[in-house]
Amino acid sequence: MFETPIDRRRFFKLTAAGVFGTGLVLAMTWDTAPSKQKSAGKFQPNAWLKIGDDGDIVVYTIESEMGQGPYTLMPMILAEELEAAWEDVRVEHAPLKPVYGDQTTGGSSSIRRGWATLRDAGAAAREMLIAAAAQRWNVPSSECYASNSRVIHKPSGKQLSFGELALAAAALPVPNTVWLKEPDEYRIVGTAVPRLDIPQKLDGRAQYGIDVDLPGLVYATTVHCPVFGGKAKRIDDGRAKAIPGVQKIFTIDNAVAVVANDTWTALKAADALSIEWDEGAHKNLNTEQIRKRLEDAAHNDATVAFQRGDVTRAMQSAKTLQAEYHLAFQAHAAMEPMNCTARIADGRVEVWAPTQSPSAAHDVATKHGLSTLRHYKDKVYRKLEIEADDPVDIHTTLLGGGFGRRLHQDYVAEAVQIAKQIDKPVKLTWSRQQDIQHDFYHPATYHAMEGSVDAKGKPLAWHHRLAGVRKAEAEDLPYAIPHVKIETAPITVNVPTGPWRSVMHHYYAFAKETFFDELARFGKQDPLQLRLELLRNARLRHVLELAADKAGWGKTLAEGHFMGVAAHYSFGTYVAEVVEITLDDKGRIRVPRVVVAIDCGIVINPNIVAAQMESSVAFALPAALKSAITIDKGRAQQSNYLDFPILRLDEMPKVETHIVRSTESPQGIGEPGVPPLAPALANAVFAATNKPVRSLPIGTLAS
Amino acid sequence: MPRFALQINGQEHTVEVADDTPLLWVLRDHLKLTGTKFGCGIGACGACTVHVDGQSVRSCMMPVSTVQGRKITTIEGLSPDRAHPVQRAWLALQVPQCGYCQSGQIMAAAALLAEKPKPSDADIDAAMADVLCRCGTYQRIRAAVHQAAQLADEER
Repeated sequence: MFETPIDRRRFFKLTAAGVFGTGLVLAMTWDTAPSKQKSAGKFQPNAWLKIGDDGDIVVYTIESEMGQGPYTLMPMILAEELEAAWEDVRVEHAPLKPVYGDQTTGGSSSIRRGWATLRDAGAAAREMLIAAAAQRWNVPSSECYASNSRVIHKPSGKQLSFGELALAAAALPVPNTVWLKEPDEYRIVGTAVPRLDIPQKLDGRAQYGIDVDLPGLVYATTVHCPVFGGKAKRIDDGRAKAIPGVQKIFTIDNAVAVVANDTWTALKAADALSIEWDEGAHKNLNTEQIRKRLEDAAHNDATVAFQRGDVTRAMQSAKTLQAEYHLAFQAHAAMEPMNCTARIADGRVEVWAPTQSPSAAHDVATKHGLSTLRHYKDKVYRKLEIEADDPVDIHTTLLGGGFGRRLHQDYVAEAVQIAKQIDKPVKLTWSRQQDIQHDFYHPATYHAMEGSVDAKGKPLAWHHRLAGVRKAEAEDLPYAIPHVKIETAPITVNVPTGPWRSVMHHYYAFAKETFFDELARFGKQDPLQLRLELLRNARLRHVLELAADKAGWGKTLAEGHFMGVAAHYSFGTYVAEVVEITLDDKGRIRVPRVVVAIDCGIVINPNIVAAQMESSVAFALPAALKSAITIDKGRAQQSNYLDFPILRLDEMPKVETHIVRSTESPQGIGEPGVPPLAPALANAVFAATNKPVRSLPIGTLAS
Repeated sequence: MPRFALQINGQEHTVEVADDTPLLWVLRDHLKLTGTKFGCGIGACGACTVHVDGQSVRSCMMPVSTVQGRKITTIEGLSPDRAHPVQRAWLALQVPQCGYCQSGQIMAAAALLAEKPKPSDADIDAAMADVLCRCGTYQRIRAAVHQAAQLADEER
């Protein structure tokens, strides 16, 4: 055990805002008033936790649950320090209040952000419960300890449950310092406790955004100009309006909205609309033009992001290898189509949204619902006291997948705009076609690679020029190569882009790890051995060794089987993957097995880590193998799962996850499994065919 | 609007909707049985899978006029208290992630087991490869179907 001081001011901030009207709000009495506030049999020592006198333990979580596990992982962290019995713990989504700071879930940041805070919160509550018991028994606190939702007096064996102590604890001061447990004392953290969100997902009870129901609800859908950013010029809605059940058809910012008695009628009426679009200046844009512009930008407009040594000279004096890589746009294609429910009444705006950012949804709802600008971030960071009269409420539901798509709030803006034009609560649901065609895509990128090797065949110089649609991000090379230059160039085209699971790491790791294999083979080196030799980071080297060992790298494979490997560090976490493939005589690639080794620091729940590795493989594989968004006539050419195919059950590899034991601080798990997959797959194909893979998706190989 | 009498989860329901309304939207918008999910609208993802007369069907492709008088089962009616072997296996193996597709996965698996109590991997591929999951829970789905088959077998 070691003592960690808690910042008293932080607890003040956590509690002083009066987060829950009915709960006991300790800090308000604690710093501002002598009298104790009590209500309804609850102990609410801070904004993260509420303990009822019936022993019910609620942990409030600010992260959006989209499958990656925060509704289980965050409560585990708090329950560990609280010494709660896991069976007593429930999770609720925290309301959107400044006390919690920004509420945005992305960048695999939940655990990294919440780890310290939730441990402090749990430990402080535990100490208050112990103090309450000691007072009741009239014994020193040092003779008492907490375990399994109870406080126990060691000498006598007397026990009181957390529920029995809740109200007494609520009357005590929040401690300034608390003891935090050492990793070898954990009994919840590090175990595969069952997820709290799963039972409701087995019988249809789980409430996603698309399931929201309100009295008097009407149903809407929107149609957007197929060319991004275009607007409706003329609408012939005669046929649509003639459909029984259609209530209203009108334009909002950049879409046409149909409101009807049910979703089916709205979708049918949307199909019956005849709309003449003002397609704007980009109606002739296509994939070829974008490729050309990416290539031009990489060669002519790139600026240096990282540099060491003298790449130009090192290239002149040695054998060089060049390669060009192209990666396609990718859609998110979450199973729950974009949707949002909004109600505007009596000057209040209420929104129910499956969103990754309730904070951003708040600002969008304020702007479109009230025509004023009140930024949630201002409330948090400037501590504006506008909470009590804030007329905008955001209710965050479960998300049927996010993957970065739901960091955008376009569907919230639309639902609020529609609600503003009708005097009823409205649920907006996009068709799948609109969802695929009006995504914020993973950007298309182009990579011009050049490398050289010395007389022994070891890499001497590495030059990577990268161009991306809108953003072009890179980071330093993890390999000890003497001369390195990495340059980036963004280009702007009329295709919306945004974060997609693992963001820049997907394309950056592909270029880095695929060209590494090319350069290794160019110098007649073994790609794995060369990586181990040149990797500067011990943890990355360790996961690489672990994955190779578990995969049986170097051993004889079954006839027609080939392996590739790649390793990448992202979101605080080190991951290596070995991909095993087979090739049939028609050039079709199958992936029977993927071995994953991960070092994410302290593991909160190993089963959720494994699930996220399986999920990352399944997400990255179709982008590497078969799916792409292509552009023609200024629009996305794909529109549903038939032409934007995601992975199917019969294509799922056997994923074996090996987790490094660690006492380093816990890191991200939602995204880091994605980046190594595509390059490891490409390297396996290279091993099989002796021909490098230079564009994604690979598709079917020419035989 | 025409009226339709439907037998859903052992109960009679009457709705007044256009006769081309897919069963999916009758369930979701009119009867508030929202466990059945909308995914693609063209029968390509399986999120809307329900049972009609014991057969696994895509409810987004079934006009309400074609299911009158037939026995319809949705995820809400599969079992009381999640007791169906498929639901128990799904819990034991912690299958769902975001969970959105899982009603469809569970209904497809239950229909498969009703027809083939001991399905092979090829049987599972044939029956379930069209039920899509963007979270990639497939490895656990396959294992859970086998486990559910065993649970059901132990009860017989």
